[in-house]
Amino acid sequence: MHPTLLVAEDEPLMRERLLEMLAESWPEARVVLVAENGNDAWDGFLEHEPDVAFLDIRMPGLSGLEVAERIGTMAHVVFVTAYDQYAVDAFDAGAVDYLLKPVQVDRLERAVARLKAKFTQPPSDGAAMGELLRHLKSALPGVRQERTKWIRASVGRQVRVIDVDEVLFFQSDTRYTRIVLRDYEALVRTPLKDLLSTLDPERFWQIHRATVVNVNAIQAAERLDAERMQVLVKGSEEKLAVSRTFVHLFRE
Amino acid sequence: MWRKVANWYREWEDEQIAVLEKPELASQSPHRFRRFYYGKLAERSPLERQQMRDFSLALKGWRGWLWTAAMFAVYALGGVALHLHSDLGWGAAILVANVCGMSLTFALISAWFNYRQFARKKIRLFKMVVVFAVFGAVTSTALSMWMQGQPISHAMERVSHFLTGVLIGSLVIMVPVLIVSVLRNRQYEVVNAQLQRENEQARLARELAESQLRLLRAQIEPHFLFNTLGAVQQLAQHGAPRAAELTSNLIDFLRSSMRDMRSEQVCLAAEFGLVESYLKVMQVRLGERLRFSLQLPRALEQVQLPTMILLTLVENAIKHGIEPALRGGEVTVSAEAIDQAVRIRVRDGGVGMSTIAEPDGGGGTGLDNVRHRLRLAYGDAASLRLHDGEPGLIADVTIPYVQA
Repeated sequence: MHPTLLVAEDEPLMRERLLEMLAESWPEARVVLVAENGNDAWDGFLEHEPDVAFLDIRMPGLSGLEVAERIGTMAHVVFVTAYDQYAVDAFDAGAVDYLLKPVQVDRLERAVARLKAKFTQPPSDGAAMGELLRHLKSALPGVRQERTKWIRASVGRQVRVIDVDEVLFFQSDTRYTRIVLRDYEALVRTPLKDLLSTLDPERFWQIHRATVVNVNAIQAAERLDAERMQVLVKGSEEKLAVSRTFVHLFRE
Repeated sequence: MWRKVANWYREWEDEQIAVLEKPELASQSPHRFRRFYYGKLAERSPLERQQMRDFSLALKGWRGWLWTAAMFAVYALGGVALHLHSDLGWGAAILVANVCGMSLTFALISAWFNYRQFARKKIRLFKMVVVFAVFGAVTSTALSMWMQGQPISHAMERVSHFLTGVLIGSLVIMVPVLIVSVLRNRQYEVVNAQLQRENEQARLARELAESQLRLLRAQIEPHFLFNTLGAVQQLAQHGAPRAAELTSNLIDFLRSSMRDMRSEQVCLAAEFGLVESYLKVMQVRLGERLRFSLQLPRALEQVQLPTMILLTLVENAIKHGIEPALRGGEVTVSAEAIDQAVRIRVRDGGVGMSTIAEPDGGGGTGLDNVRHRLRLAYGDAASLRLHDGEPGLIADVTIPYVQA
């Protein structure tokens, strides 16, 4: 069995180093995605669904903590961080493993051994993980992401300033993002994965790798079969597919 | 009875010393009048309270009584002299001498310890003394005449006669009191000014220590040090010549920041050198995400600037501008002479203004420290301004241009 790995680290040399060390310490594992920032890490996670994610805490876009929050119990998470021992004391109590930068071989080997042992079980329990992440977010400085209120978009020959609260849903369209509102829709050049990181996750639910919907605009969710669902949106004819990863959002 | 008075006095004395030591106790006394009196004590300046406390302690308990008895004896002797030289009886002469002597003594003691009030409210004090004296003179004359059965209509002559005496008496008390309080006040102001100077110096030293500490923290900040060492390790493993280059930039940075730590001012050439080694280190780490350029005209190389200011701004540009930006950006550091000033500009092409307000323990306080040090070095002649660079942020430091 070949476990699949995601590695997210923004500094090129540290990234290279971690990859080389992983290749030595865990030769049977396969790195399926290398991300340079948090947005790519989360988007890539949805695409590849790896078993383990090695996440730098401080990254551009979504921080490692925010990516871990979204991953929840879908994979094992190992944080890679240069925060000093004092700041990461919280880890020792928690459900998540961590590596201090620069990563040392023996420490990585220990983490890999622990991962191999845990592998047979499902990832750590969600409640403890959520608690730990909340604690870390308040304890570690500089890992908050700014929220956007307005988006500038061209509609025909006009440039519109769109209030994000009025958006019904966002949909990825290769390198563009389609923004659908009640009366019109617009295209912006920013990829959805980058827009997503600036939206409030409480109010904008991602229901598919390519779709983010405003919670206030959800009329209902319909079950299609055991695994598939779709969302009906107020004020729009379109029906939006919910991917397996996000079906849990609509469980009673 | 006697014991009761002694107890009361002892209690009052203890309370007064306690209030002088801790003015916040003033409002805790159960007696209304004492509360009022202690409130007045608490309003005095720390130095005055200190002086009065020393005095109260020196005269605490039997010493106070001993001194009072000694004064009584001295004034009694005065009374004897008064008796021999006038037609007053023994008892009356001793009483008059004691009343006058004690009043003068207490007035002088009050002036000695409450000189600031006395010196500040000279006119009011004088008016009060005169009003009380006239009131006392009129009522006591009227009372004695009524008791002796003389008609009140004759009173005016006697009052004016008596009044002259009373006014002379109050002047005899007022003049020494004023002299004492004015002299004491002058002395107080000298001491106070000296204390303030010492405070200011201590504050300067603290500011400097704080910025040195910041520099030390910047050097050993885990993100900086460990990430840089990790990069060195990675480069060294492959024997790349870049490892040697990165190490030598790190050495340059550490060495020149240690030099900064030892001095308060440094020339722009040296400070640009420090910033360049820092940016070179960061460029190896961040790769394509960081580009930078430095422009320092030769004429400005020797201009002096407080240490740490430029580095703090550049660190902020990296930390809040470049590192959080998905695609990075360019940092430009430049100096320019404008009229009689030198403008030093740090511009990053990364994330914009909104993130500066982020309360992250590093950014905000760094800028506060920069502003403080500019004010300490130049007063209002220097400034730090931030504005939107669209994209990114521009930080401008302007200092007076002093040509060598």
